[in-house]
Amino acid sequence: MAQSPVSYRLVSEVKIRREHFGGILYKYGCADRGAMSFINSPQLIEFLIAGQQQYGGDLGAALAAQSYSAARKQKLCAALDDLAKRGYIQVED
Amino acid sequence: MTQFVRFVGRRDYSTSHTQASNAQATVGTVHPSALVAMQQTGEMVRPQQGRGSQHFLQGGLSAPITVTWEITAACNIACVHCLSSSGKRRPRELTTAQSLALVDELAEMQVFQIHFGGGEPFMYHGIWDVLERCSQRGLVMCISTNGTLITQERARRLTQFQPLYFQVSLDGGTPQTNDRIRGAGVFQRALRGLELLAAENHSLTVNCVLTRYSFSELDQLRDIAASFGSKLRVTRLRPSGRGQEVWDDLHPTREQYRDFTQWLEAHPDVLTADSFFHLNAFGNKLAGLDICGAATATCCICPEGEVYPCAFFQAPEFEAGNLHEHCFKDIWRDSTLFTFYRNMGAGACTGCGQYNTCHGGCPATKWFVHQKLNIRDPECVLV
Repeated sequence: MAQSPVSYRLVSEVKIRREHFGGILYKYGCADRGAMSFINSPQLIEFLIAGQQQYGGDLGAALAAQSYSAARKQKLCAALDDLAKRGYIQVED
Repeated sequence: MTQFVRFVGRRDYSTSHTQASNAQATVGTVHPSALVAMQQTGEMVRPQQGRGSQHFLQGGLSAPITVTWEITAACNIACVHCLSSSGKRRPRELTTAQSLALVDELAEMQVFQIHFGGGEPFMYHGIWDVLERCSQRGLVMCISTNGTLITQERARRLTQFQPLYFQVSLDGGTPQTNDRIRGAGVFQRALRGLELLAAENHSLTVNCVLTRYSFSELDQLRDIAASFGSKLRVTRLRPSGRGQEVWDDLHPTREQYRDFTQWLEAHPDVLTADSFFHLNAFGNKLAGLDICGAATATCCICPEGEVYPCAFFQAPEFEAGNLHEHCFKDIWRDSTLFTFYRNMGAGACTGCGQYNTCHGGCPATKWFVHQKLNIRDPECVLV
């Protein structure tokens, strides 16, 4: 599959925690501020943690390093686009 | 390695009370009246997959998202509705060393945020050390303050701690209404505190407890908040602490609540701390969680190390454990009280068509008004 034309970067303030259903994304503050999301996909949480810890938040690089199928990459990109809308990820064309 | 908090031993009030059936639950016992109240709610309603917050919170998270930490009971004012009956410092309040160890433990557990309350946090002798440790450990800090002890020097000194937010309390848009609740002269002193914090560009909200009297001044409160570049945050009055004594006089009427939901719709910038989900039963879902997060997403640590389901549920019968006896992690994960609490059913709300929108409202309010949990929220809008 061709390299994704957009790059994804995890916002530096975002914290990630594993939970039994997947995990929690938390950005800078409680319910009153920032954002918090329950993510019911352990795979997505593991990908984000790996991107944060091993690639300094560069999720594009983390994605490129994985030997995912085209379908899985597409699904993951859709999930990242959704997280970008919620303010956890910056997307650069 | 982190030194977890293990303080001086303290006996449980009884070892003969019923233990939870869950073999993992080993911390503490459950007071008989709390046990009966929780059991009377019946079996937990299993949420449909993927619907609402309940699905994720069921059974509790691995650690709280936010811990409310009432770090001292000492307070220089005496609000009539104080949820923790604050006033004087209590004898067994955590030392600074114990508090620092607790911060480390919360950080190890990946708690995201600590919400400091009290009492007045700035009356705690070790507050500066605690904030510094939180900052070093990357914990988001929120300080709920009456604002009256903020000086220019303190406001400046606080800029070194990040990320840090302030909630400055005002319970009315006028001195008359605010000072009736919070004491003579407090309105002006709180405004001065807001001014000093704003001058140092601190992140602020003006926090107002919705009462029968503050309701009509919400627009003024919103304007006051805006004048400091901040937002208004409105929270629900609970009948806990001294709030029990003034509940009948202060809690909003059903008509006020209906008008309030419409006012919130018209002012989406106003924050509510997820505290009005019981109003979802009017038919329009408010933003935020639609379920109580007590003991699942949050809990409260009190000045003498008591751990409760939430800041509004500081009833001795519902103490899940004490930091003088157990480390926080053990209390959170293995307390008998929390195990039962996390498995409560819908009680009198079983079968109600609105249950999925409000989840029965606030357990603490039920307990403090009627000493029962298998009843509707005393402010249920369907009654």
